[in-house]
Amino acid sequence: MWQPMQRLVITSMVLGAAWFSIDTAGQSGPAPSTRNGEWPYYTADLRGTKYSPLDQIDAGNFNNLEVAWRFKTDNLGTRPEFKLEGTPLMVGGVLYTTGGTRRSVVALDAKSGELLWTHRYPEGTRGANAPRQLSGRGVSYWTDGRGDDRVLYVTPGYRLIALNAKTGALVTSFGKGGVVDLKVGVVYGNGQQIDLVKGEIGLHSTPTVVKDTIIVGSSMKEGMTIETHNNTKGLVRAFDVRTGKLQWTFNTIPRPGEVGNDTWLNGSWAVNGNTGVWTQITVDEELGLVYLPVESPSSDYYGAKRPGNNLFGESLVAVDLKTGQRKWHFQLVHHPIWDHDISSAPILLDATIDGKPRKLVAQPSKQSFLYVFDRVTGVPIWPIVETPVPPGDVPGEWYAPTQPIPSKPPAYGRPGLRIPDELIDFTPEMRARAVENMTHYKWGGNFPYSGTLYNPPIVGNVKGLLGALNIGNASGGTNWPGAGADPETGIVYAQANLSAFTPESVAPPPPGFSDMEYQAGVVGQPFRLRVAAGTGTYADVQRQGAAAPAEAPAAPRAGGAPAPVYNAVEGLSMVKPPYGVLSAIDVNRGELKWQVPHGDTPDVVRNHPRLKGMTIPKTGQGGSVGVLVTKTLVIAADPLVTTTPEHPRGAMMRAYDKQSGKEVGAVWMPAPVSGSPMTYRVDGRQYIVIAVSGGNYSGEYIAFSLPDTASDTGGSR
Amino acid sequence: MRFAATFIAIAIAWLNLAAQSAETPAPSVWAGVYTAAQVARGDVAYRQECANCHGTTLEGGDMTPALVGGGFTSNWNDLTVGDLFERIRVTMPLDRPGKLTRQQNVDVIAFLLNANGWPEGKTELAVDLGTLKQIKIQSTRPAAQP
Repeated sequence: MWQPMQRLVITSMVLGAAWFSIDTAGQSGPAPSTRNGEWPYYTADLRGTKYSPLDQIDAGNFNNLEVAWRFKTDNLGTRPEFKLEGTPLMVGGVLYTTGGTRRSVVALDAKSGELLWTHRYPEGTRGANAPRQLSGRGVSYWTDGRGDDRVLYVTPGYRLIALNAKTGALVTSFGKGGVVDLKVGVVYGNGQQIDLVKGEIGLHSTPTVVKDTIIVGSSMKEGMTIETHNNTKGLVRAFDVRTGKLQWTFNTIPRPGEVGNDTWLNGSWAVNGNTGVWTQITVDEELGLVYLPVESPSSDYYGAKRPGNNLFGESLVAVDLKTGQRKWHFQLVHHPIWDHDISSAPILLDATIDGKPRKLVAQPSKQSFLYVFDRVTGVPIWPIVETPVPPGDVPGEWYAPTQPIPSKPPAYGRPGLRIPDELIDFTPEMRARAVENMTHYKWGGNFPYSGTLYNPPIVGNVKGLLGALNIGNASGGTNWPGAGADPETGIVYAQANLSAFTPESVAPPPPGFSDMEYQAGVVGQPFRLRVAAGTGTYADVQRQGAAAPAEAPAAPRAGGAPAPVYNAVEGLSMVKPPYGVLSAIDVNRGELKWQVPHGDTPDVVRNHPRLKGMTIPKTGQGGSVGVLVTKTLVIAADPLVTTTPEHPRGAMMRAYDKQSGKEVGAVWMPAPVSGSPMTYRVDGRQYIVIAVSGGNYSGEYIAFSLPDTASDTGGSR
Repeated sequence: MRFAATFIAIAIAWLNLAAQSAETPAPSVWAGVYTAAQVARGDVAYRQECANCHGTTLEGGDMTPALVGGGFTSNWNDLTVGDLFERIRVTMPLDRPGKLTRQQNVDVIAFLLNANGWPEGKTELAVDLGTLKQIKIQSTRPAAQP
């Protein structure tokens, strides 16, 4: 017969084991999923697909969409925001997202848009110093499946905050009172802790929640004009989502003894920074691998202080979910000097290659290459060929002799520009002007695309060449809104900007501004500080009296001649249309399935006096927009405002047939898209929510749904 | 009787006004709504407060919209000069919103209108939001009135 104490011990052990199994299994119960009509991650799922199987909204009814509700973000902060980039989550009938100049968090009723709760975390000077301001891309969600439901986000001042999803209250058991100070443990140089208030680091993308782990990246100031190359070092960290306790750190600039450290010659790892992971991170839960899209080291256009290939700059890195240990990596650009940040979520797909099922990771890019790898091993599915590239001649710079160029699938945008074939040709005179303009830039050589891909920056001068022409970098191709995919078919859908005409030039900065001999600029032109979008807009900037971030010295601004304008022809783009496209890329075959211009022909083309009477096919629009993929549709909205005979001043959200690329519907919006659309279903009705803003239109989330056929009461607002 | 007369007078006045507004096209930036002197003042203010981000030739930057050319004119097409005034007043310069005086604000707008090819006139753009809200920004010149 058992003694009571023995019973108690055994019972405790059983309970303990049960607790342990639940705990280690991570989220139990019905996990939030797109299969339930929810949208629980920024990219819909952990795999970066932006895919929802919902099908109520289709080709036959898309044009009938009407506004279900709208949510203006003006009062989330001290002034309106004009660049609202969030994509809400929807879990259990509630939307969660960020908005406003303080990056407040809101919970909205998914049916009505009613504000359920709001959270604000004033950060004063720390927020005002943030390198990445604005309201960010949204939030992350975690549940234990038993009622502990949390919303997590990163503040402009780089704090990780856990909120009770039901109330918006801080989860006091997480970190210190609901907050983990992410600046603690962040370093520059060879290990010096950055200042907790002024130290340069932030994050505007959403952290990634997987099981009981939350993974957080890092972002620094815009890297074209910087005060020092020895700025904050990029890192990715994982925390326990229950407690906020640090689980692991991955150094994107490898330390001595770590793989890749030898790619920073002369010990330059110790005196360089940046190399953050500022965009969305994706995860294969089964493989236990985390895919990190890493950005450029300091500085964007001048890398003389960091000779070598500079791993893991502009590399896709797979690390172990439990330990953060590197499993494999592939560097897309060696010794980066073009601002080719890997700028969007890697997409995980299972496809059939040459008759065999394969686990893939597909990485969209500014170059408009879709880099496709076996996501277990990191081996390219199709050869990615190390191709000789011409060196440049900027004093002190180090040049990589080759760059990797994918053999398949074909580029879905413009990695480079074929000159003169891809210059504007509406009229012979315009073509002639463009050809003449091109004599003011460096290009050419035997390298593909007339030498405009990986064309190294020059020391530009107003009295000579103004820059080295590139087009698939900086703001070309696919940027932060990223691509999407259908996991059932293995088709990737990506929008690309084909008109980002980017002459790259460096010049000596004003004395005393920087410890680098060269920065983005042109000799003879006034120095211009390049700051990230929204810098200076943080809610507390004025109140705290924080100085404008690193304001440029006054003297150089006054001098110098105005730059001659050779980058346009009579107000029109130097490149011939299309200016922007939407593509379907079949990763089973490594082929383009279809490609169509995306966006109305801009007003400046349609109304141009020299083009009067001409029939110009739809040009599409430059700019970067995200896609939403549903059962039958690809949905993307226009990045520019137009006023056309078909619609009043505004921008259209369009639906395309997934099979053919044919546009099957469009709905009017009052302003351009500024965040990626998402979709969900609640009480049997499908909604699409999209963030719009720009020009004089402040940030707003707009929800669209089909008219209620059961009643004739209208009700749209 | 007096009441009826007053009513009729008001009604006639109203009808006159309605007729006037039907005949007179809404003022637009094509009507010459600023002066050369104002452009010169706006040039100075622009270079001091705006050029660092928007560029000396208003060409914009990687993160900053151009204030000249098709992107700018289509973005503001069908809105009013008052809308532009309010956008600047509320949010610009980014690091010190409201730093420009109202006079500097309209002077900068005059400079922008000039840079985009809208004609100058004999009257200064006034610091009056109600008036500015009446002036429509039109990217293309409206058809000539009969």
